[in-house]
Amino acid sequence: MKAVTNRIVLPRGRRATEVASFFAQLDELSGRMVEDVRGATPAELAWQSKRGHNTIGMLLLHIAIVEAFWTLVAEERFSPAALRRALGVDLDDDGMPLPPAGLPPAALRGRTLAWYTNVLRRARAFARRRTARFTRADLDRVITRTRRNGERVRQNIRWILYHVLEHQAGHYGQVLLLRHHYADRRRAR
Amino acid sequence: MTALRRIESRIVPAEGFRSLEVAVKVTELGAVHELIREAVDGLTPAQLDRQPAPGRNSAGMLLAHVAMVEVHLGQVGLLGEPDGRVEQVLGVGADDDGMRLEPGGAPTPAIAGRDLEFFLDLLARAAHHTRRACERLTDTDLATDIVRPPRPDGSQRVFDRRYVLFHMVEHASLHMGQPRTLRRSL
Repeated sequence: MKAVTNRIVLPRGRRATEVASFFAQLDELSGRMVEDVRGATPAELAWQSKRGHNTIGMLLLHIAIVEAFWTLVAEERFSPAALRRALGVDLDDDGMPLPPAGLPPAALRGRTLAWYTNVLRRARAFARRRTARFTRADLDRVITRTRRNGERVRQNIRWILYHVLEHQAGHYGQVLLLRHHYADRRRAR
Repeated sequence: MTALRRIESRIVPAEGFRSLEVAVKVTELGAVHELIREAVDGLTPAQLDRQPAPGRNSAGMLLAHVAMVEVHLGQVGLLGEPDGRVEQVLGVGADDDGMRLEPGGAPTPAIAGRDLEFFLDLLARAAHHTRRACERLTDTDLATDIVRPPRPDGSQRVFDRRYVLFHMVEHASLHMGQPRTLRRSL
């Protein structure tokens, strides 16, 4: 009998069990997402269902950028240069949010799935490395910062970890939806 | 001068649980439900029923699906019950979300034409059920395997409760992103 086993096994070597659990969950989610985008061509990754709507490629890059961004925020070390050093791309390179009737960033045209998965891997390695020293007490720590639009934002690190996972899952759902729409469009031709 | 907008987001573990890790996941799930409510705020019954194409999921189907899966997972995955009893909790059956739709399929009569209040009530019932299912769980319970009965296809599912709690949050989040995309096409 074929057994399908799903466990969240906590990796050793972390100072906080909760952070270890977070990465185990995030890796499970990413593994599934990478499996579900397997076979996506550069044309599919760059396909826009309608002007102003996100492409699969934009969403994948956005997931990676957001993971590295929040890691830097949690460390209180965010700067555009620090993000570029971590990922090799800039904060706005995903093009999100697109203006109404906007087109995907030209720099993403022709990018392959391997390019996107490499950025995702870099983001995960960065986040894993930089949060290794977090203790349980760190998770209650509140980070206060000011957004580019002047808004004052206060978030605790436990929320940041939750948000990285919820954010990735939310956009992963949109990637699945776009894959269906792309397949429908091709069948309708 | 307009006052600065201040945004505060915290995951503060809910009280009343025996395990901190469980309390965190229940709080996270509550935060995802809040995002879902925001994503569908103001949708009319016609908008909730609208499919991007025949055979594709509507926002209403997605909402029902999130609630049904959460209750089912709570029953078989957290409480270790042999079968789900979704209808006893939600008043609609486990298959009434209509997923997966057949090619060309439409929302089931159980949820077609329903208003937003109906779907938000399903979510609230699911959240209440999850909280009750989690209250007595300990840290030790999280690493305990649940072995499901063999399936007709010859496979057998095995998972631990830590996975189930992760899956509840991830599953609800994944489907939360979809109504956001659907409503941009309305």
